[in-house]
Amino acid sequence: MSGPGNVESLLREALSPVEPPADLVSRVTSRLQSISDHAADELESWELAAMRDPRNWLRPAVAVIGGGAAGAGLVLLRLHQRHRRDAEGGSEWTHAGGADGDADAD
Amino acid sequence: MIEPAKTKAQLDEEFAELYRTHMRDLYSYAYYRIGNHHDAEDLVEQTFLQAYRHFERAQRESDGRPLRPWLLRIAHNLAANHYRYRSRRPQTSLEESGPVAAVHSTEDLVSGRDELARVLEGVKRLPDDRREALIMRFALGMDNREIARALGRTDGATKVLIHRAIKQLEGMVALAEAGL
Repeated sequence: MSGPGNVESLLREALSPVEPPADLVSRVTSRLQSISDHAADELESWELAAMRDPRNWLRPAVAVIGGGAAGAGLVLLRLHQRHRRDAEGGSEWTHAGGADGDADAD
Repeated sequence: MIEPAKTKAQLDEEFAELYRTHMRDLYSYAYYRIGNHHDAEDLVEQTFLQAYRHFERAQRESDGRPLRPWLLRIAHNLAANHYRYRSRRPQTSLEESGPVAAVHSTEDLVSGRDELARVLEGVKRLPDDRREALIMRFALGMDNREIARALGRTDGATKVLIHRAIKQLEGMVALAEAGL
Protein backbone atom coordinates (compact mmCIF):
# COMPACT_ATOMS: atom_id res chain seq x y z
CA MET A 1 0.00 0.00 0.00
CA SER A 2 1.24 3.53 -0.81
CA GLY A 3 0.92 6.91 0.94
CA PRO A 4 -1.83 8.90 2.65
CA GLY A 5 -3.54 9.74 -0.66
CA ASN A 6 -4.15 6.07 -1.19
CA VAL A 7 -5.54 5.58 2.31
CA GLU A 8 -7.88 8.50 1.75
CA SER A 9 -9.20 7.11 -1.52
CA LEU A 10 -9.61 3.69 0.09
CA LEU A 11 -11.47 5.33 2.96
CA ARG A 12 -13.79 7.06 0.52
CA GLU A 13 -14.54 3.72 -1.06
CA ALA A 14 -14.78 1.72 2.15
CA LEU A 15 -16.99 4.25 3.93
CA SER A 16 -19.50 4.68 1.15
CA PRO A 17 -22.86 6.09 2.31
CA VAL A 18 -25.32 3.47 3.50
CA GLU A 19 -28.94 3.68 2.38
CA PRO A 20 -31.39 3.51 5.29
CA PRO A 21 -34.18 0.94 5.14
CA ALA A 22 -37.08 2.20 3.04
CA ASP A 23 -39.52 2.19 5.93
CA LEU A 24 -37.34 4.15 8.36
CA VAL A 25 -38.62 7.57 7.24
CA SER A 26 -42.25 6.46 7.58
CA ARG A 27 -41.51 4.90 10.97
CA VAL A 28 -39.91 8.11 12.28
CA THR A 29 -42.81 10.13 10.84
CA SER A 30 -45.42 8.01 12.60
CA ARG A 31 -43.49 8.08 15.89
CA LEU A 32 -43.29 11.88 15.73
CA GLN A 33 -46.96 12.14 14.79
CA SER A 34 -48.00 9.96 17.72
CA ILE A 35 -45.80 11.98 20.11
CA SER A 36 -47.29 15.19 18.82
CA ASP A 37 -50.89 13.89 19.13
CA HIS A 38 -50.19 12.46 22.56
CA ALA A 39 -48.76 15.78 23.73
CA ALA A 40 -51.86 17.65 22.47
CA ASP A 41 -54.20 15.18 24.22
CA GLU A 42 -52.18 15.39 27.42
CA LEU A 43 -52.31 19.16 27.37
CA GLU A 44 -56.05 19.21 26.83
CA SER A 45 -56.84 16.71 29.57
CA TRP A 46 -54.32 18.35 31.88
CA GLU A 47 -56.06 21.71 31.48
CA LEU A 48 -59.49 20.19 32.18
CA ALA A 49 -58.21 18.18 35.14
CA ALA A 50 -56.44 21.23 36.49
CA MET A 51 -59.69 23.21 36.45
CA ARG A 52 -61.48 20.46 38.39
CA ASP A 53 -58.94 20.65 41.19
CA PRO A 54 -60.08 23.27 43.80
CA ARG A 55 -56.44 24.06 44.57
CA ASN A 56 -56.22 25.58 41.11
CA TRP A 57 -59.21 27.83 41.62
CA LEU A 58 -57.33 30.27 43.83
CA ARG A 59 -55.28 31.80 41.03
CA PRO A 60 -58.23 32.53 38.68
CA ALA A 61 -60.24 33.79 41.69
CA VAL A 62 -57.42 36.15 42.66
CA ALA A 63 -57.20 37.26 39.04
CA VAL A 64 -60.96 37.97 38.92
CA ILE A 65 -60.91 39.84 42.27
CA GLY A 66 -57.79 41.74 41.29
CA GLY A 67 -59.23 42.63 37.89
CA GLY A 68 -62.53 43.69 39.46
CA ALA A 69 -60.78 45.85 42.04
CA ALA A 70 -58.64 47.49 39.38
CA GLY A 71 -61.74 48.17 37.24
CA ALA A 72 -63.66 49.61 40.19
CA GLY A 73 -60.64 51.79 41.09
CA LEU A 74 -60.53 53.08 37.54
CA VAL A 75 -64.23 53.95 37.57
CA LEU A 76 -63.83 55.76 40.91
CA LEU A 77 -60.84 57.66 39.59
CA ARG A 78 -62.77 58.75 36.50
CA LEU A 79 -65.72 59.85 38.67
CA HIS A 80 -63.40 61.75 40.96
CA GLN A 81 -61.72 63.46 37.98
CA ARG A 82 -65.08 64.39 36.49
CA HIS A 83 -66.24 65.71 39.83
CA ARG A 84 -63.10 67.83 40.14
CA ARG A 85 -63.46 69.14 36.61
CA ASP A 86 -67.06 70.03 37.27
CA ALA A 87 -66.10 71.70 40.52
CA GLU A 88 -63.30 73.70 38.81
CA GLY A 89 -65.67 74.70 36.00
CA GLY A 90 -68.24 75.90 38.60
CA SER A 91 -65.79 78.16 40.51
CA GLU A 92 -64.68 79.83 37.29
CA TRP A 93 -68.28 80.56 36.54
CA THR A 94 -68.79 81.82 40.09
CA HIS A 95 -65.65 83.92 39.81
CA ALA A 96 -66.82 85.39 36.51
CA GLY A 97 -70.21 86.04 38.04
CA GLY A 98 -68.51 87.79 40.94
CA ALA A 99 -66.54 90.00 38.59
CA ASP A 100 -69.68 90.91 36.80
CA GLY A 101 -71.21 91.69 40.10
CA ASP A 102 -68.29 93.98 40.93
CA ALA A 103 -68.68 95.72 37.60
CA ASP A 104 -72.33 96.21 38.25
CA ALA A 105 -71.54 97.63 41.62
CA ASP A 106 -69.22 100.18 40.00
CA MET B 1 -36.16 42.54 13.49
CA ILE B 2 -37.88 39.84 15.55
CA GLU B 3 -39.49 37.16 13.42
CA PRO B 4 -43.03 36.16 14.39
CA ALA B 5 -43.26 32.78 16.14
CA LYS B 6 -43.86 29.88 13.78
CA THR B 7 -46.98 27.79 14.05
CA LYS B 8 -46.68 24.18 15.09
CA ALA B 9 -47.73 23.03 11.63
CA GLN B 10 -44.94 25.10 10.06
CA LEU B 11 -42.37 23.71 12.48
CA ASP B 12 -43.54 20.15 11.86
CA GLU B 13 -43.30 20.63 8.13
CA GLU B 14 -39.78 22.07 8.41
CA PHE B 15 -38.73 19.26 10.70
CA ALA B 16 -40.06 16.67 8.27
CA GLU B 17 -37.99 18.31 5.56
CA LEU B 18 -34.94 18.19 7.85
CA TYR B 19 -35.14 14.49 8.52
CA ARG B 20 -35.91 13.59 4.94
CA THR B 21 -32.81 15.53 3.88
CA HIS B 22 -30.46 14.09 6.49
CA MET B 23 -31.78 10.58 7.01
CA ARG B 24 -29.11 8.95 4.83
CA ASP B 25 -26.25 10.87 6.49
CA LEU B 26 -27.51 10.02 9.96
CA TYR B 27 -27.98 6.42 9.01
CA SER B 28 -24.51 6.12 7.48
CA TYR B 29 -22.97 7.69 10.57
CA ALA B 30 -24.94 5.42 12.89
CA TYR B 31 -24.15 2.30 10.92
CA TYR B 32 -20.38 2.89 10.76
CA ARG B 33 -20.31 4.13 14.35
CA ILE B 34 -22.23 1.22 15.89
CA GLY B 35 -21.65 -1.57 13.40
CA ASN B 36 -25.05 -3.13 12.83
CA HIS B 37 -28.27 -2.13 11.16
CA HIS B 38 -30.60 -2.89 14.02
CA ASP B 39 -28.93 -0.52 16.48
CA ALA B 40 -28.21 2.00 13.73
CA GLU B 41 -31.95 2.29 13.02
CA ASP B 42 -32.63 2.70 16.69
CA LEU B 43 -29.98 5.40 17.03
CA VAL B 44 -31.34 7.33 14.04
CA GLU B 45 -34.88 7.16 15.42
CA GLN B 46 -33.79 8.33 18.88
CA THR B 47 -31.72 11.12 17.35
CA PHE B 48 -34.67 12.52 15.43
CA LEU B 49 -37.00 12.19 18.41
CA GLN B 50 -34.59 14.16 20.54
CA ALA B 51 -33.97 16.70 17.79
CA TYR B 52 -37.73 17.22 17.46
CA ARG B 53 -37.98 18.33 21.08
CA HIS B 54 -35.39 21.06 20.59
CA PHE B 55 -35.93 21.91 16.96
CA GLU B 56 -37.44 25.35 17.44
CA ARG B 57 -34.58 26.49 19.67
CA ALA B 58 -31.96 24.98 17.39
CA GLN B 59 -33.42 26.84 14.42
CA ARG B 60 -33.41 30.09 16.37
CA GLU B 61 -29.85 29.68 17.56
CA SER B 62 -28.40 28.27 14.35
CA ASP B 63 -28.64 31.70 12.78
CA GLY B 64 -29.20 30.23 9.34
CA ARG B 65 -26.30 27.75 9.54
CA PRO B 66 -26.96 24.14 8.46
CA LEU B 67 -28.37 21.86 11.14
CA ARG B 68 -26.53 18.70 10.06
CA PRO B 69 -23.71 19.13 12.64
CA TRP B 70 -26.33 19.59 15.36
CA LEU B 71 -28.08 16.35 14.37
CA LEU B 72 -24.78 14.51 14.31
CA ARG B 73 -23.86 15.89 17.69
CA ILE B 74 -27.08 14.46 19.13
CA ALA B 75 -26.30 11.11 17.49
CA HIS B 76 -22.71 11.29 18.78
CA ASN B 77 -23.91 11.83 22.36
CA LEU B 78 -26.51 9.08 22.11
CA ALA B 79 -23.95 6.67 20.67
CA ALA B 80 -21.55 7.47 23.51
CA ASN B 81 -24.33 6.81 26.05
CA HIS B 82 -25.21 3.60 24.25
CA TYR B 83 -21.67 2.30 24.71
CA ARG B 84 -21.47 3.49 28.31
CA TYR B 85 -24.74 1.70 29.07
CA ARG B 86 -23.58 -1.50 27.41
CA SER B 87 -20.21 -1.40 29.15
CA ARG B 88 -21.99 -1.29 32.51
CA ARG B 89 -24.31 -4.15 31.60
CA PRO B 90 -22.49 -7.01 29.91
CA GLN B 91 -24.64 -8.27 27.05
CA THR B 92 -24.35 -10.15 23.83
CA SER B 93 -22.17 -8.61 21.15
CA LEU B 94 -23.68 -6.01 18.82
CA GLU B 95 -23.97 -8.39 15.91
CA GLU B 96 -25.83 -10.93 18.07
CA SER B 97 -28.09 -8.44 19.74
CA GLY B 98 -31.21 -9.03 17.68
CA PRO B 99 -32.68 -9.35 14.23
CA VAL B 100 -30.75 -7.34 11.68
CA ALA B 101 -33.07 -5.26 9.56
CA ALA B 102 -31.01 -5.38 6.38
CA VAL B 103 -29.11 -8.29 4.99
CA HIS B 104 -25.73 -6.83 4.07
CA SER B 105 -22.84 -6.42 6.50
CA THR B 106 -19.85 -4.08 6.41
CA GLU B 107 -17.87 -6.88 4.87
CA ASP B 108 -20.41 -7.30 2.09
CA LEU B 109 -19.99 -3.65 1.22
CA VAL B 110 -16.34 -4.19 0.31
CA SER B 111 -17.14 -7.39 -1.61
CA GLY B 112 -14.11 -9.30 -0.51
CA ARG B 113 -11.50 -6.77 -1.50
CA ASP B 114 -8.68 -7.26 0.97
CA GLU B 115 -7.38 -3.73 0.94
CA LEU B 116 -10.75 -2.21 1.69
CA ALA B 117 -11.45 -4.85 4.29
CA ARG B 118 -8.19 -4.00 6.06
CA VAL B 119 -9.06 -0.29 5.98
CA LEU B 120 -12.50 -0.95 7.43
CA GLU B 121 -11.07 -3.22 10.07
CA GLY B 122 -8.59 -0.48 10.97
CA VAL B 123 -11.38 2.12 11.18
CA LYS B 124 -13.27 -0.12 13.62
CA ARG B 125 -10.23 -0.33 15.87
CA LEU B 126 -9.56 3.40 15.99
CA PRO B 127 -10.46 5.35 19.13
CA ASP B 128 -14.06 6.62 18.98
CA ASP B 129 -13.24 10.28 18.29
CA ARG B 130 -10.87 9.43 15.42
CA ARG B 131 -13.29 6.93 13.95
CA GLU B 132 -16.13 9.44 14.10
CA ALA B 133 -14.07 12.13 12.44
CA LEU B 134 -13.21 9.78 9.56
CA ILE B 135 -16.84 8.68 9.16
CA MET B 136 -17.95 12.29 8.97
CA ARG B 137 -15.23 13.21 6.51
CA PHE B 138 -15.35 10.22 4.18
CA ALA B 139 -18.87 8.77 4.49
CA LEU B 140 -20.69 12.08 4.87
CA GLY B 141 -18.29 14.40 3.01
CA MET B 142 -18.26 16.98 5.80
CA ASP B 143 -15.58 19.69 5.95
CA ASN B 144 -13.44 20.44 9.02
CA ARG B 145 -15.73 23.19 10.26
CA GLU B 146 -18.84 21.01 10.18
CA ILE B 147 -17.02 18.13 11.86
CA ALA B 148 -15.71 20.52 14.50
CA ARG B 149 -19.25 21.67 15.28
CA ALA B 150 -20.55 18.12 15.43
CA LEU B 151 -17.79 16.99 17.79
CA GLY B 152 -17.69 20.18 19.86
CA ARG B 153 -14.05 20.95 18.99
CA THR B 154 -12.19 23.80 17.36
CA ASP B 155 -11.44 23.73 13.64
CA GLY B 156 -7.73 23.38 14.38
CA ALA B 157 -8.19 20.51 16.81
CA THR B 158 -10.40 18.75 14.26
CA LYS B 159 -7.79 19.10 11.54
CA VAL B 160 -5.21 17.54 13.85
CA LEU B 161 -7.65 14.79 14.86
CA ILE B 162 -8.27 13.78 11.25
CA HIS B 163 -4.57 13.92 10.39
CA ARG B 164 -3.71 11.66 13.33
CA ALA B 165 -6.56 9.29 12.52
CA ILE B 166 -5.29 8.83 8.97
CA LYS B 167 -1.70 8.35 10.19
CA GLN B 168 -2.79 5.75 12.73
CA LEU B 169 -4.89 3.98 10.14
CA GLU B 170 -1.98 3.88 7.71
CA GLY B 171 0.11 2.25 10.39
CA MET B 172 -2.56 -0.34 11.14
CA VAL B 173 -3.09 -1.19 7.48
CA ALA B 174 0.66 -1.47 6.89
CA LEU B 175 0.97 -3.87 9.82
CA ALA B 176 -1.98 -5.92 8.58
CA GLU B 177 -0.44 -6.10 5.11
CA ALA B 178 2.81 -7.28 6.60
CA GLY B 179 0.87 -9.97 8.40
CA LEU B 180 1.75 -8.69 11.86
